Amino acid sequence: MFLSLAWRNIWRNPRRTAVILAAVVIGVWCMVFLGALMRGMMVEMVDNGIATLTGHLQIHRKGYQSDPVIENSMRDPGPASKALQDSLPAGSHWTARVRVNAVANNARHNAGVTLVGIDPACEAKVSFIGHAVAQGQYLKPDDDYGIVVGQALLEKFETKLGHKLILMSQDTGRQIASRAFRIRGVFHAQQRATEKQFVFVTKAAAQDMLKLGSGISELSALLPEAASPQKAADRLRGELPGAYEVLTWPQLLPLIKLYLGMMDSFVVIWYVVVFVAMGFGIVNTTLMAVFERIREYGLLKSLGLKPWGIIKGVMAESFFLLLIGAALGNALGLATVWALSYHGIDLSALAQGAEFFGMGRVIYPEAHIKDILTANLVVFILGLVVCLYPAVKAARFTPVEALAHT
Amino acid sequence: MSIDLRMAWRNLWRNPRRTLLTMSAIAFACVLLVFMLSWQFGSYETMINTAVKVQTGHLHVEAADYQDRQDMRLVIKDPQAVTKMVQAAPGVEAYTVRANSFALVSSQERTYGILVVGIDPAREAKVSTLKSIVRQGSFLEPGDHEGALVGRLLAQNLQVKLGDELTVLGQGRDGSIAALVLKVRGIYSSGMDDFDRSSIQMGLQAFQDAFTMEGAAHQVVAICQSLEEVAGAKAYMAAHLPPQKDPGLTVLDWKQLMPGLLQGIEMDLVSGIIFYIILLVVVTFSILNTFLMSILERTHEFGVLMAMGAKPGRLGRLVVMESLAMNLLGVGAGMIMGALITWYFQVQGIDLGAQELMAQYGIVGRIYPRLSWLSLLSGPAVVFVMTLLAALYPTRRLWKLRPVEAMNYA
Amino acid sequence: MPIVQCDHVNKTYRQGNIQVRALREVSLEVDKGGFVALSGPSGSGKTTLLNIIGGLDLADSGAVVVDGESLEQMSQTQLAEMRLQKVGFVFQAYNLVPVLSALENVEFVMLLQGVPTDERRKRARAILDAVGLEGRHDRRPRELSGGQQQRVAVARAIVSNPAIVLADEPTANLDSKTGQGLLEMMRQMNQERGVTFIFSTHDQMVMDFARRLVIIRDGQVVDDRVKG
Repeated sequence: MFLSLAWRNIWRNPRRTAVILAAVVIGVWCMVFLGALMRGMMVEMVDNGIATLTGHLQIHRKGYQSDPVIENSMRDPGPASKALQDSLPAGSHWTARVRVNAVANNARHNAGVTLVGIDPACEAKVSFIGHAVAQGQYLKPDDDYGIVVGQALLEKFETKLGHKLILMSQDTGRQIASRAFRIRGVFHAQQRATEKQFVFVTKAAAQDMLKLGSGISELSALLPEAASPQKAADRLRGELPGAYEVLTWPQLLPLIKLYLGMMDSFVVIWYVVVFVAMGFGIVNTTLMAVFERIREYGLLKSLGLKPWGIIKGVMAESFFLLLIGAALGNALGLATVWALSYHGIDLSALAQGAEFFGMGRVIYPEAHIKDILTANLVVFILGLVVCLYPAVKAARFTPVEALAHT
Repeated sequence: MSIDLRMAWRNLWRNPRRTLLTMSAIAFACVLLVFMLSWQFGSYETMINTAVKVQTGHLHVEAADYQDRQDMRLVIKDPQAVTKMVQAAPGVEAYTVRANSFALVSSQERTYGILVVGIDPAREAKVSTLKSIVRQGSFLEPGDHEGALVGRLLAQNLQVKLGDELTVLGQGRDGSIAALVLKVRGIYSSGMDDFDRSSIQMGLQAFQDAFTMEGAAHQVVAICQSLEEVAGAKAYMAAHLPPQKDPGLTVLDWKQLMPGLLQGIEMDLVSGIIFYIILLVVVTFSILNTFLMSILERTHEFGVLMAMGAKPGRLGRLVVMESLAMNLLGVGAGMIMGALITWYFQVQGIDLGAQELMAQYGIVGRIYPRLSWLSLLSGPAVVFVMTLLAALYPTRRLWKLRPVEAMNYA
Repeated sequence: MPIVQCDHVNKTYRQGNIQVRALREVSLEVDKGGFVALSGPSGSGKTTLLNIIGGLDLADSGAVVVDGESLEQMSQTQLAEMRLQKVGFVFQAYNLVPVLSALENVEFVMLLQGVPTDERRKRARAILDAVGLEGRHDRRPRELSGGQQQRVAVARAIVSNPAIVLADEPTANLDSKTGQGLLEMMRQMNQERGVTFIFSTHDQMVMDFARRLVIIRDGQVVDDRVKG
């Protein structure tokens, strides 16, 4: 009875209700959609970061993170491998890498690169490189002189598949080691910077060239989706002696972590800003509805309705208004996300700009429960709070002044 | 004041609560836009200035294709001819000559492949901030043939300190081996990680000798008195380039030198504008009801005025004047508040607390929003137009009104 | 020369699904300087007739001529112009613009007519004095009594020298003493300025004041007499 009265009251002035609903619907729609867009951007950024030779967690010899040079490599990866084997959840993949700074040369050009020695089979399950080779072929395990380079590097060096590329780096004896490789494959990455930075050879080739023996720079692991990198890292720390450091991706990618934090607060600020914009409308409309019905409230009061009853009535109206608006807004928002999630939003026109901000070339919006809940909570809680003002106003009219009002 | 105006003004305050709320919504949108646009423009300016001051300068004269290929054989054969011309260009404040080569740089402990830059110390100090960001040791003296400047991060990576030796091994312009030993004279820190770990600076003369440049250089870098002067200076330089064949010379401005920065700014601006449009649409719908209601609830009154012979256009004018007053008050208040808030932060600066992150984008230290006519006026102007449209929309009703029905309207 | 001529006027309203014949074949002439009361029970059609004469509403058929101008072919804009120049209205509920003072309410009509400011002010003050509102020119409607508000309404109706003033139940909201004062004032305006008044009313006092009484019932004129 009380709710149905509120419901009917909303539709006493359908046009007014429609206009304020439009404001709420557009507001919620944009909150949901833009929230998903930003979440998509963040997820993309994180995924990209994790796939670009980071993984969910890494094990290094202690000190490697702050000074990633060959002296700080793990001489014997055995214990760390075993720890991974023992404590990572089923479905995890990991791989060992050699990673050093190097200089790449050919007859005409030279540039600084990161030389990565990989175990081709294991690596393919952990990082992007396994499915990124667009020309030629991926490394074979026994290929001691093959190298896979990025498209951008290939262009910069004015070279092509099958040609030679010489790599120079410091070996464990602090001598300059150099070796000529042949370009077997060319990979494409989300960012040109990645294509310019990394060159891949087999782990054995790198170890041989750098006189590393069976040493490696890092072990990188990818966990199944549901597993928590933090927990896995804690378990690993328990198993490994202090000579190792176990780092999770937020520690490995501190900038991305910072960026995520900033985006998170930005999303909430944006929600509140949009809410304020529609909040003025909600208060105003409710206030108008209340003032139009002063006589009615007077009558109800003289019939014995308590002020609290009136407050409840007004709040119920606002609640319905918010409910319809939020329902439609969420539906539209999710529909937009769904429509765009297949092909994504292509930023190729601004590719360099996107790269500048560390984003991929295509953004796929992703609706996360958390974001949608936050948006709706902001709308409902703040919506009801601001409607307290007209509600209390309505409850304060004394029957006599209400009935005298024309 | 005419009766029309007085009527509009008094009508405005018939429902002061509603009017104030509506004006607040308008003002809110204006404050937000003024502040956010000032913020964006301010940070862009900082980003551009930092990048320009630390690295690229406003204009480069260099061999065609050098920018893309960074091939050390693409040189300016006669730097003097170019600097003479650059000096004469209008708006140019200072210029310097640079030569670059990629080389292996080793300390006793470590070896890194990095960019070695030959600079003219006296001129460089006037073009870039390099001299002022030397935190340890000193800047290069003119004629110092074995001194080098090293970025803070690179020094860390190489494990060198002031006075330590660096061995540089590279390839000369003619393909010969270039080898030399340098001493660390100064360690600088720009706050931009990339810059601080990717290059060392040495004297131009010594560079030219070691890399068999035969007097050639790679870039003549010019800085203009202001960003506005760049286009003019560029046009002059392009028209007066000294003849050089194979490769020819070209002039590049900062936008061409840092396409990523420009596109990044464009992207930030575009996404900002999308946010603002959405916000404005929500605000517009939010205040549309006020205008709708103020016409609906006066239907009876309009009927009477029509009976007296007032035509819809006349009543429309009245209503529009009313909404215009509300609009102008809201926009005005919003602009004043927006300007004050922006101005406060323009003086105080804003600390986002994410220094490492901002440094990535060339923002070192606080962000200072920059109030300009553009940031002050453009947002509120759009708010004004949208509000005006929201106010005009319900006036259509006046033309459908018939006096008798209007007077019977409850 | 009659100032208002209605010839076989018919008007039918739709009220929901019901057709209401408000006026049937009504013919009526009012001479210049007349002081005429249209009377009859509620729903008899007197207000409709008043609205049609005033150009607020159009007849379905029949001819209406006001001050030599035929209304049936006029557009809404032309009707508005006609009302502005030739017709003054007085309503039962006064219907003053609440945000304007008495003086401004009166000025407003002249503003619409484009009368220059000085003349407007002078004429408005004179007419307000004439209707007995000396010293109350700057009051807002809510600061005036019902009788005073209705005097402002009359002043507003006659200030532009219209051909006719149409008054719809002008005394219905007033007590009899105030009503009588108002009627005396209107009669005075009629006699001194020659303004034609047509009332719709069921107030006996108005009928007594009127020099001609037209009785309408069920949309038809059933009686029309000129009193001594």
